[in-house]
Amino acid sequence: MIMKSSSSPLASLLPALAVLVVLALVPALGPSNRILSLAISAGINIVALYGLAVLFGQTGILSMGHAALVGVGAYTAAILARDLGIGFWVALPLGSLLAAAVAAIVGVPSLRVSGHHFVIMTFAFGQLLSIVLTNGGAFTGAATGLDLQLPVTWFGRPAGDLVPYYFIVIAFVAISAVASWLIINSSYGRTLRAIRENEKLAASLGINVGRHKIGAFVVSGLFAGVSGVLLAYFFRHISPNQFSAFPSIYLALMVMIGGARLLLGPIAGGILVSFLPEMLNLDPVESRILYGICLIAVILLLPNGLIAGLFDGLRALGRRLVGSAPRPNVPTDGTSETA
Amino acid sequence: MMSAILQIEGLRKQFGGVTALAGVDLAIQEGEILGVVGPNGSGKTTLFNVVTGVHKPSGGRVLWHGRDITGLAAHQISGVGIGHTFQQAMAFPGLPVIENVRIACEHARRSSRAYPWTTPEALLRFVGLSDLAGERAGVLPFGNLRLLGIALALATRPSLILLDEPAAGLNDKETLALVGLVKQLPEHGISVCVIDHDMKLMQMLCRRLVVLDFGSKIADGPIRDVLNDPKVLEVYLGGVL
Repeated sequence: MIMKSSSSPLASLLPALAVLVVLALVPALGPSNRILSLAISAGINIVALYGLAVLFGQTGILSMGHAALVGVGAYTAAILARDLGIGFWVALPLGSLLAAAVAAIVGVPSLRVSGHHFVIMTFAFGQLLSIVLTNGGAFTGAATGLDLQLPVTWFGRPAGDLVPYYFIVIAFVAISAVASWLIINSSYGRTLRAIRENEKLAASLGINVGRHKIGAFVVSGLFAGVSGVLLAYFFRHISPNQFSAFPSIYLALMVMIGGARLLLGPIAGGILVSFLPEMLNLDPVESRILYGICLIAVILLLPNGLIAGLFDGLRALGRRLVGSAPRPNVPTDGTSETA
Repeated sequence: MMSAILQIEGLRKQFGGVTALAGVDLAIQEGEILGVVGPNGSGKTTLFNVVTGVHKPSGGRVLWHGRDITGLAAHQISGVGIGHTFQQAMAFPGLPVIENVRIACEHARRSSRAYPWTTPEALLRFVGLSDLAGERAGVLPFGNLRLLGIALALATRPSLILLDEPAAGLNDKETLALVGLVKQLPEHGISVCVIDHDMKLMQMLCRRLVVLDFGSKIADGPIRDVLNDPKVLEVYLGGVL
């Protein structure tokens, strides 16, 4: 019954937008700079997570080198600013396009192999990019990385401070959520889900599986590039280790913990993974252990992620309160993704 | 004389040292329901897989209305107008039934031919699954999954449909319903080729029957003659009938 009532596609967008509106009010509460900084980096991650959700949640392909695509966006921003004096707003589309182009270059050979092999290929690509950046001499700033000095402006007014930049990031999270929602509810999104569910059957219905898998990886690269430009202009200094194996694993972890198929999933995963170690005051080693435990727990207990698990729990509770038996043959798997 | 829509010539398929198809010739005529039987390992499913682009053939040709389509990729085969169903994994289990069919409809080939089922709803009505449109395909009982598989193949607007053991796992009532459905297809301009072990099903569906054994065709003709062919009786049906 609940599935029926939420079957309008819009019903899945509204909760995500409502959460974003609430998050947009956070600066009004006068948070500390530390909290605001964490929130900004969570938001930057969430932008990339929406792309990863298209890839993993919809198409069923996991990328373990996604931070490298974020890195492409970030280095594009830094190098454009340094060499050509090109600023934030122009760097955004360029970084995004370049990350998508790199995704295409990596994707064409990698997606000829399937499943686990692709995961390994993306991981190798991530390592490779970090080696290239480290050995790129003055052009990439080698191991120390690059500084970015151009200010971020909004109609001529400086917007690089924490609060205005927070609003810019929130706006891009909202754009990403809407873009992701449009993909999920389009014929294109259905095609990707068909590939996720049954590649052989999808091909027999006329779907060019290989091309669409590469396409999904390219789309996820667009999001990653935007995230990278936002990241470069936030940290003002980027270096290869920000885009190596661990950040990639964290991104995969965030999308799994939050849930890759639902619109609220990336927001939940991004916030949780960014804030939890800070809130619990863990050092980096402890937080990695915690991430590991979280990942195992989520895979075992909530295979569709936290948000789907939460919905299931609420539904089960609702049923118990109403006292009606569950409908036979309908498993509770977090609501369908278009709903 | 009828015209062959699909002409298979000397089709061979080797898997390493194993010969799955040893040079099969086969013609499917427009408007017929052709049965292909054979014991396990006789090459039935391999024949389908090679024709539909799942496997590349080791030799031989596949002609579609005279055009060479040998070795086209699976998604291109659907585009020329050959649909097929699978023995296993017939649907997209995690998606609602209606979305399964909608996806198939969205990828239907463009064809100027009038077609009776152009919408997901019409297809579900035809196979009798309208009431289950909102359910996840993965929870459907086996018989309904088979019907959904057929609806998906029909959504691509084929003029030939290849059915791989469509009655496997169905009870008698479901089998009868399936036969009724398949028998209507030629009226709508869809030729049918069925592979199955089930002789009763073949007798209900087909006029012509082909028998494969060890990757070769050993009989091809009107079903009555084939069933009385001593070679067929010995090789395949001896223990069955």
